[in-house]
Amino acid sequence: MSSQEDESAGGGSEPAEPSSSPSTEIGTTSGDIITVTIGATVPTGFEHTAAEEIKEKIGVDARISKDRGRVFFPITTDKLFQVHLLRSVDNLFVVVEEYHHYQFKESKEETLMELQQLASTLPWTNALEVWKQNGTLKKKKGHRRGGNTAKSKPNCEGVGGSMASTEQQELPQENSAPEGWAGDTQAMETSTQDSDETGHGSKLIKFRVTCNRAGDKHSFSSNEAARDFGGAVQEFFQWKADMTKFDIEVLLNIHNEEVVIGIALTEESLHRRNISHFGPTTLRSTLCYGMLRLCKPQASDIILDPMCGTGAIPLEGAIEFNHSFYVAGDNNDMAVNRTVNNICHIQKRRADKGSMSGLPIDTVQWDLCSLPIRTSSVDIIITDMPFGKRMGSRKKNWDLYPSCLREMARVCRPGSGKAVLLTQDKKCFSKAISRMGGLWRKQHTVWVNVGGLHAGVYLLKRTGAVFGQTPEDVYESRGLTLVFSLV
Amino acid sequence: MKLLTHNMLTSHVKGVTKGYPLLIKATEVKVNEVEFNPQFVSRMIPKLEWSALVQAAEELGHRQDLPGELVADYETNEEFLKKVHRILLEVEVLEGCLQCPESGREFPISRGIPNMLLNEDEA
Repeated sequence: MSSQEDESAGGGSEPAEPSSSPSTEIGTTSGDIITVTIGATVPTGFEHTAAEEIKEKIGVDARISKDRGRVFFPITTDKLFQVHLLRSVDNLFVVVEEYHHYQFKESKEETLMELQQLASTLPWTNALEVWKQNGTLKKKKGHRRGGNTAKSKPNCEGVGGSMASTEQQELPQENSAPEGWAGDTQAMETSTQDSDETGHGSKLIKFRVTCNRAGDKHSFSSNEAARDFGGAVQEFFQWKADMTKFDIEVLLNIHNEEVVIGIALTEESLHRRNISHFGPTTLRSTLCYGMLRLCKPQASDIILDPMCGTGAIPLEGAIEFNHSFYVAGDNNDMAVNRTVNNICHIQKRRADKGSMSGLPIDTVQWDLCSLPIRTSSVDIIITDMPFGKRMGSRKKNWDLYPSCLREMARVCRPGSGKAVLLTQDKKCFSKAISRMGGLWRKQHTVWVNVGGLHAGVYLLKRTGAVFGQTPEDVYESRGLTLVFSLV
Repeated sequence: MKLLTHNMLTSHVKGVTKGYPLLIKATEVKVNEVEFNPQFVSRMIPKLEWSALVQAAEELGHRQDLPGELVADYETNEEFLKKVHRILLEVEVLEGCLQCPESGREFPISRGIPNMLLNEDEA
């Protein structure tokens, strides 16, 4: 079988034979503090950034999995709320069990049978206890969530307890296709019953299994694994399978020989948390956070995003690294208006919670090749450069990139200035940079995946050279090519 | 538009050599509450063009008693820092325009967004 990755969700299948099942009550050890392992999915390439944040905010060392885009760390249940403060993670789950060198059986039938048997032997108790506590946390805090698809749950701003009222959800419906055009904010009807009721043995729990599988040597597909494993889980717990309105999402992650079974703690990805007004290429907030961490914003740093689009990067900065000042700019009418809308949305949300709403951010409409900014007045430039696939074009990039980089070098403070630039057009970028050694030095590159495209996040340092005096930044009008030949 | 941003903006109309600071003609100004961070303010002051800041505050009628020149030891003068904080971050121009001091060209401000785009003949 050639290497393939696939993902599928299963709700369960007909059980092979009846087996004894445990009590349907989940967790009776609610008073004790237990230690569990939490798994987090992060934008590929930013695993180390996530580990740094975890160390900083939770105080533990995270382990980076061989399965890219995943990190694991231990936590005690009394500190569980801290995981929801993490800005670099897309999704969180609690680990039920991990196998680093799972030996799959030769045949498909045997492998799947083994997976089924696994279900009843796994140490579910602690993970389920954490799931339960996490449900309580979410009710109390009403913490932010990203866009919502088929499932609709009330936005829990009120006090805990079951909420039967419908409530307008502020955040828009997110398309299932990544980075699709999502348009403006839509009001969303929410379902009446909050089915996150926890710990009641009498209430029927609904679940589904999601399987992610990657690797060459598996004899089965993720569909089959989800189906069979799901069936066994259903049999074991006597839960009801439901693909869309589930209480518990069981995760079965198989990456070559690494198998991780977990229970999801986040319903939707947290990655679009700040943005209510999407544009065609809005970057997910976790990626924005990763980029910001890379440049280590200091107090009073002036940080520019000269191609801000909907303002995702500077907005994340204004919230999370609020000791700096952000100027978001774009030449496009819709973009600057969307940016302001997004900023207002966040400010209103803060005001509603009773905190000071003002954010250290401003928006300007400008042409980035001719910035109306004083020379050497900016500390950091951070932006998502047009890839040329969904916006602009490859041909345009050949001219755009060098002009951009020069203008950015002009406004950036010599010596201490930095730039963090995301682009998929690596060839064009490298070429443009190679011609500017007098102004910019490449310091570090992070390879990431943005909506299925392989991109690079380049960390550049502004050299100490004064703009306009290096040999390279004088426009070359000659364009001669020298051909060497060996006679 | 906050005055911190205004402090960095210049006119870049072709041929203009003295395009800074831009004159502010405001028709709508708002004052917000922004969390005060003394370190932010004291480290920002050296990066500013102080006279341009004072002039801008004056134009908006929000100068209050901001001094024309920097006081000594401002880093530890919390009262002073708070005044600067207010003028840098809390006073915002929502509607109006910025004017190039040399060419007279006006750049409109709408919804707090200055439009600094030039026409083809001006660039």
